[in-house]
Amino acid sequence: MTTTSASHPAAPPEPALSVRQVLTLERVLAGEPEVVAGAGGLDRAVRWVHVAEAADVGVMLTGGEMVLTTGVLLAGDESRQAEYIQSLHRAEAAAVVLGLGRAFPTPPEVMRRAAERCGLPLVVLHRPFPFAELTEEVQSRLVRRKFAAVSLSEAVRTDLTALITAGAPLQRLLDEVARHSACPVVLTNLAHRVLATAGERSAVDDVLRDWERVSRQAGGGALDAWISAELGGRGERWGRLLLCGYRGEPANGRLLADRAAEALVLHRMLGGSALSWEEQSAQSLLTDLVSGVVPARQLLPRARAAGLPVNLRTFVPLVVPGAEPAVLDRLLRVLGLSGLAAELADGVTAVLLSLPRDRAADALTALFAARLREATGRPDALVAAADPRTGWDEVPAGLREARHVADAVAGSAAALGLPAVVRLKDVHLRGLVRLLRENPDVQSFAERELDGLLRKAEPELLEVLRTYLATGRNKSRTAQLHHVSRPALYRRLEAIQGRLGVDLDDFEQAASVHIALLAHDAQQR
Amino acid sequence: MSRVIRAALFQTAWTGDKESMIQVHEQAVRDAAAQGAQVLCFQELFYGPYFCQVQDKAFYDYAERIPEGPTVQRFQSLARALGIVLILPMYEEEQPGVLYNTAAVIDADGSYLGKYRKTHIPQVQGFWEKFYFRPGNSGWPVFDTAVGRIGVYICYDRHFPEGWRALGLEGAEIVFNPSATSRGLSKYLWQLEQPAAAAANEYFVGAINRVGVEDLGDNDFYGTTYFVDPEAQYVGEVASDKETELVVRDLDMAKLREVRDRWQFYRDRTPGAYSPLTAP
Repeated sequence: MTTTSASHPAAPPEPALSVRQVLTLERVLAGEPEVVAGAGGLDRAVRWVHVAEAADVGVMLTGGEMVLTTGVLLAGDESRQAEYIQSLHRAEAAAVVLGLGRAFPTPPEVMRRAAERCGLPLVVLHRPFPFAELTEEVQSRLVRRKFAAVSLSEAVRTDLTALITAGAPLQRLLDEVARHSACPVVLTNLAHRVLATAGERSAVDDVLRDWERVSRQAGGGALDAWISAELGGRGERWGRLLLCGYRGEPANGRLLADRAAEALVLHRMLGGSALSWEEQSAQSLLTDLVSGVVPARQLLPRARAAGLPVNLRTFVPLVVPGAEPAVLDRLLRVLGLSGLAAELADGVTAVLLSLPRDRAADALTALFAARLREATGRPDALVAAADPRTGWDEVPAGLREARHVADAVAGSAAALGLPAVVRLKDVHLRGLVRLLRENPDVQSFAERELDGLLRKAEPELLEVLRTYLATGRNKSRTAQLHHVSRPALYRRLEAIQGRLGVDLDDFEQAASVHIALLAHDAQQR
Repeated sequence: MSRVIRAALFQTAWTGDKESMIQVHEQAVRDAAAQGAQVLCFQELFYGPYFCQVQDKAFYDYAERIPEGPTVQRFQSLARALGIVLILPMYEEEQPGVLYNTAAVIDADGSYLGKYRKTHIPQVQGFWEKFYFRPGNSGWPVFDTAVGRIGVYICYDRHFPEGWRALGLEGAEIVFNPSATSRGLSKYLWQLEQPAAAAANEYFVGAINRVGVEDLGDNDFYGTTYFVDPEAQYVGEVASDKETELVVRDLDMAKLREVRDRWQFYRDRTPGAYSPLTAP
């Protein structure tokens, strides 16, 4: 597994105070500190505080120390004073603090010049106080910070592990990361395609608005406060987790991103969902679109970031009964069509095609449907299509229209002799009855009309009646579809007419039974 | 109104035989044309396996004459019928024993415009190409097609900046780089070199790589075919690393002019200082 920093490659591994922060501590301010050289280095991290009078102090340091001295062993020897500063510089000390007093009543000019030359902050204390007070103060703060970092790390790890163990979906994990980070969290694949987001919606939308540009900059470290962790395992990289605009200490953000990345890798390796991250991303977007809970306009940045072309496009919402999203996704790739495919909450598979405006959308939809039949080996596979939409705002209504068409023709495709692409205009009365299926008057009408067949529970006769009416009372076609002889069919039709007490040769009576049957079927689904 | 070229690339897996491979590619041409693509480039040695994983002269049989051979003629008819420019990377036999790794360029009216022969031939583990191909001798042709000026730079060529620049100097607007390259060997370079070439030479690049593992070896071809613009930005998404995919993208030629007017690499290059590069 790899989780590496992108935006802060040189960030310290643990939280630290800066020289500037140390100088603003109350105890230090009482000593009247004055920065006499190396002011440009005040943001250096202080890893530890060390008291040292020895002239060769440099050899005892490992970098990042704030060195405190009275200079008692340096007074009167200018070459040792210069060497002392250079030695600290070579050891990469963070700063040197000189208490003025018996050895140096005023800031020594040689040391000031040497420190200025090498950019080492030199701070003098005009009212020196026991160094032990300073070391205690700073050290306890540093330890507290380290402890806070460890406890943050533990808290995040515990929360995320609990979610993974409980089988939580990816989105739940990201929501938890966003709760800790208090900034938008974005999960992308390696092609910068946004797979999932978490955080406050308006802040996330701001991040996604110009995603293509900013995401690539983030990779180069151009955006401050974007913290990125690579996701991968078994020698392969899969994607990237980004904390966009983390406002806390960079080191804490780094830690949070790394813990989150570890959790996501674990989640993926354990197969937290049967769906890939890409599939979950398409599913959540299409589900939100069709539900209408969020206005389509607000979902536009997410659609764009998910790689769906949205500028100057024609959208064709489709529902493909009985098709696996993965199969449809592969077909889209083979055909070079842009689109998203996903299973919606109610088990319906939807596809949203995004086509160039200059192409005939109907022809490309027909091509998709024809190739679906070839790819699945199902010559009767149907695609329920809404009319093409040129405006993104109309896409949700289009998705609902496609679902309505699919519902209306479900189960009777063969009898109806439908084309590969079915549209609203093809569903006629079925569509209307489908819309009215919850109406109690329609329900009691259906029960009354079909009572003779439903009471005795004769599914075979009901099937024959369904086909006979769907084929426009075509006896030879009905006999063929039910694999029975014509005389056998006649006997069944007579039985049906007897049970229902109707004459199916009479148009109005046949129409009434047909409507009742459509209403009955609509309630069954 | 700027000129927009709808261009396509096709990556796929070895089907097991040459005829079905050709049929898959014919279907891709039709699918691309259905979306209005004006130009389409296939992967390197498109109708065969990547036989350079082994050294076996039986594979010499995959070579055909260009343009007299049957495959070029078959795709000339298709190009004419659909009005699409085609770039066909394939194994070429000039005469028995004289073989090249070549790309034929067919114009939208079906006419044969010429060919580019791969210049740099590798001979490394899993890519035993010197066994099969002479180094190309076609120079750096750029073809004036119905849609624009097109260059081709094949696979291993892409590691050599000189050819990219020569194609730019010849006026290429799009350079296609059909390849067969495998996971582990070059994947990190795949996202670096062609975008860098596109930026350095201020033109569009279409990079194509096959997908899948073939039965001649362990090379795992990672697809991820893409177009990149003169600013080294991907045009739309990068293709799958495992699945067959047709990539159709709109390339706006106004971008090429905009970038050249901004960066002026062609004005500021100093060929007089480059003589060490051509010293033998």
